[in-house]
Amino acid sequence: MGLSSANIANEEIQFCIFDSRRGQHEGQELDKILFFYPSECPYSSQLSVIGLCEGIITFTRIFSPEAACEVIEAERHSHVFYEAEPDIWMIMVVEKSKYAESVWRSEALRGVLKEIHSLFVMFHGSLKTLIDKQPSDFTIGKKIQLPSFRECLKERGTVQMLTISRDMAIEIQSLITVLGSPSGANTTYNSLILFQDLLVSTTLSPDDTANLFAYCVMRLSPHALSSSLSVNSWSYIRKSKSASNVSTVSAVCAASDGSQGTSHDASPGEQPRTVNVPRPLQRDKWSKGGDGFLATDVWGVEIGTSLPRTPTLWLQQTHERTYLCVYQYKNLTIVLLIPVSSLINGEQGIALVKNQLLENVSQKIVNIEEKLSRGWGGENAYHVSGYRYLLLDGDRNISRASPPAKVTTLSKDSLLALNKLREEVDLEKKRTMSDNPEHEKDFEACIRVKNNAWVIAKISRGRELYMALEKASETLMFASDAVEKFSNRYCEGAFSLD
Amino acid sequence: MNGVAKSPVDVLIKCPCTGMKHEYLSVATRLKAALMHFSFASDVQDDTSASWRKRRKHFFVLSHSGKPIYSRYGDEHKLAGFSATLQAIISFVENGGDRIKFVRAGRHQVVFLVKGPIYLVCISCTEEPYEALRGQLELLYGQILVILTKSIDRCFVKNPKFDMAPLLGGTDAVFSSLIHSFSWNPATFLHAYTCLPLAYSTRQAAGAILQDVADSGVLFAILMCRHKVVSLVGAQKASLHPDDMLLLSNFILSTESFRTSEAFSPICLPHYNSMAFLYAYVHYLDVDTYLALLSTNSEGFYHLKECRIQIESVLVKSNVLCEVQKSILDGGLHVEDLPVDSSLRSGLPYPHPGQGRAAPSSMSEIGGPAGLWHFIYRSINLDQYVSSEFSSPLNSSGLHKRLYRAYQKLYVSMHDRQIGPHKTQFRRDENYVLLCWITQDFELYAAFDPLADKALAIKTCNRVCQWVRDLENEIFLFGGSPFSW
Repeated sequence: MGLSSANIANEEIQFCIFDSRRGQHEGQELDKILFFYPSECPYSSQLSVIGLCEGIITFTRIFSPEAACEVIEAERHSHVFYEAEPDIWMIMVVEKSKYAESVWRSEALRGVLKEIHSLFVMFHGSLKTLIDKQPSDFTIGKKIQLPSFRECLKERGTVQMLTISRDMAIEIQSLITVLGSPSGANTTYNSLILFQDLLVSTTLSPDDTANLFAYCVMRLSPHALSSSLSVNSWSYIRKSKSASNVSTVSAVCAASDGSQGTSHDASPGEQPRTVNVPRPLQRDKWSKGGDGFLATDVWGVEIGTSLPRTPTLWLQQTHERTYLCVYQYKNLTIVLLIPVSSLINGEQGIALVKNQLLENVSQKIVNIEEKLSRGWGGENAYHVSGYRYLLLDGDRNISRASPPAKVTTLSKDSLLALNKLREEVDLEKKRTMSDNPEHEKDFEACIRVKNNAWVIAKISRGRELYMALEKASETLMFASDAVEKFSNRYCEGAFSLD
Repeated sequence: MNGVAKSPVDVLIKCPCTGMKHEYLSVATRLKAALMHFSFASDVQDDTSASWRKRRKHFFVLSHSGKPIYSRYGDEHKLAGFSATLQAIISFVENGGDRIKFVRAGRHQVVFLVKGPIYLVCISCTEEPYEALRGQLELLYGQILVILTKSIDRCFVKNPKFDMAPLLGGTDAVFSSLIHSFSWNPATFLHAYTCLPLAYSTRQAAGAILQDVADSGVLFAILMCRHKVVSLVGAQKASLHPDDMLLLSNFILSTESFRTSEAFSPICLPHYNSMAFLYAYVHYLDVDTYLALLSTNSEGFYHLKECRIQIESVLVKSNVLCEVQKSILDGGLHVEDLPVDSSLRSGLPYPHPGQGRAAPSSMSEIGGPAGLWHFIYRSINLDQYVSSEFSSPLNSSGLHKRLYRAYQKLYVSMHDRQIGPHKTQFRRDENYVLLCWITQDFELYAAFDPLADKALAIKTCNRVCQWVRDLENEIFLFGGSPFSW
């Protein structure tokens, strides 16, 4: 035990999920804990983390019965709270190390928790149903990098879009139509199309799109597949080598019923029960087959065969379980979601759908990929010279930002200042939302920092613009003009004055 | 664990559990108990408890053993359970080798400040930033020191369960007045004091006579009108921190007995010497104006009284007291009086008055040029600030409070501890355009109509700075003695 506690002393992060309905009786408090990282942390410490969190949750309810506890800020640690489902809390405890690198926005940390939960729910359904079915343990999977202040020009949980021409849009629409209405099926299939790590089209709701997009970029896109070949070079936020001293954690959880490979219900007409509860966020588990479809054995194999079982996921919007079918041609990734209920004959049906896809649209896909690749401006396509920016459309979960390689040219002070300004804006936004959810706040702040950079935040009609301008002139009017120009040119004037 | 042989399973299951129970119960159970106490209290007297919870800003002071010392609302003796809860939270985090700063839940913020054996807590839904609330707790602690000095810590060394509340008996008004000032007095976040505007010669005359008594063994001689300074003088090398002045004047203004007769009272200036008392002779010269003479000598009453008589006669003779009264009536700087050149005069908030905007003519008559509503100018070298008078459209105390809170937020944002101070900030929301400008010499905070034109607002800020510099002899105190803190 001495050994393990020494390890823990070096840990910069703890992560836990607990259910406050459970373990109500003295001596049963351990039942509350659904997941704790690091797992070798002694139970006494685990319980003391949860004891404090539960205590504070109860305490703040005295004064704030309507809004739950969000954060405990201490000199050396931050506890970030996220009530993922009623009474089910996700807590992240981060240690503020002596390095100034450990500066975060608590909303950005909460974004990590939200993403973990959303992805979990997408593959497994809600935690609550899972717990009610069978008390589960949660095992850990992947590496997560904490979004430090250096990521202040990024927004987790949003989608990055590829800008396409009108002609292209028509062509893609026709592809979606074919994909969505296969011959012989009486339902429509949803689809998601990505070019590299950018979204080209989606037929899903904004939330489902954001979740699936995040998963694609992490595990399925050509980039994710190729980087998984080179061991360990992959990081959660790519190209952020600068943040290498930010602590990492293996925290994305997957459920495991602890009795692997035991029961399965083979009664006909019912959904076959999973033998293993899959861990879809495991790394290096997807590969591209000769037919262009991506395959993984994370979901186990078909009974009596060695064929991998087709992954499934839940759509939030429709509460529908669908097969996840991914076809990739060069830079183009096509995600087809086939409702499980629409295929009576499971894997056979999927094979049929795949064949249809290859027959009907593979040429279309080749054409589209070719045209998109030709028109693609490279990784700096959305760089705007002189600006470092993040543009957010919260209603549609869409963001666009300066390329990461360009953001790293900003000085630390500018990034810290922008991070701080975003934290202020986060609070303002939350207040406006609780005051009047219908009302969209218009807000503008333009700060000249000690190092003479300008950091700017502007909210207008539900859209947000964050910007850092270094090497800008010293007048406020210059900075305002720069924002105005940017707004007129790239945001259809959304942030312009009149 | 004590070397007793146990199976690995025992170690795994039993050992952690014993430790766990203790740790877990300490917080969770105490909090649960406290909550039971509350729900019980609310059963008994539903209204009181519910209205108590709904107060927008609570302040609590308690000892490290959880004994209540002060509560802004409610009888602190009835809050013993609640105090114990706060203590449990603070000490639990402390036991983990850390120190809790704040907790946030929705609009509510719980801010903690530990000062040795004294714990201070603010629970607020006023949306003031953490740094601002923490600064207020620091002042609250300072006010305790003014009354008791830091040597109170020794009582807790001797007896950890020491009950400090009785020592503060009868000082409720001092604390409630201080807490009230957090929402109207910019000195509480600017860490600067402000002067009553007076002709240079008048202030000189007052300063001269104060200097005379300072030379005769008075440590500080302070002549004030309400919370504004008329003149102040310190003995050689003695300097007075603006926060000490705030706490001292709050103490005097909120203690009714000072008004009725001359008084001699032990008093501590925390930034000057937090461990020792000074002795203050306080006397009101008229209903608003008072003189405070501070000495290190506990026997100094008669000497200070003589000094006061001397000062008073000079002030009456030289007409200073009349000038003070006149200044109160006249008020300070009004944004409407800001001298403007022609470009600003035509520069109303809208580029084309009368075209396309609703009632531009009435809007242009409100406030100062270019939609200027209010400003605060803080001189960094002097540790003094000047704030314009409130005028239309800021004509209710609710609007004043809102503007102060906006300034306070702006101040915190500009003075970021890690990377501040910033140089300039422009901010626009549905209530105001706010501009802040910090240089080596001064800080300017200005509020404009939310529709104000940016370029004109900047021009107007420059005009304000020039105006203040033109008037500096009347609105600031230039001390003869070194003011170097």
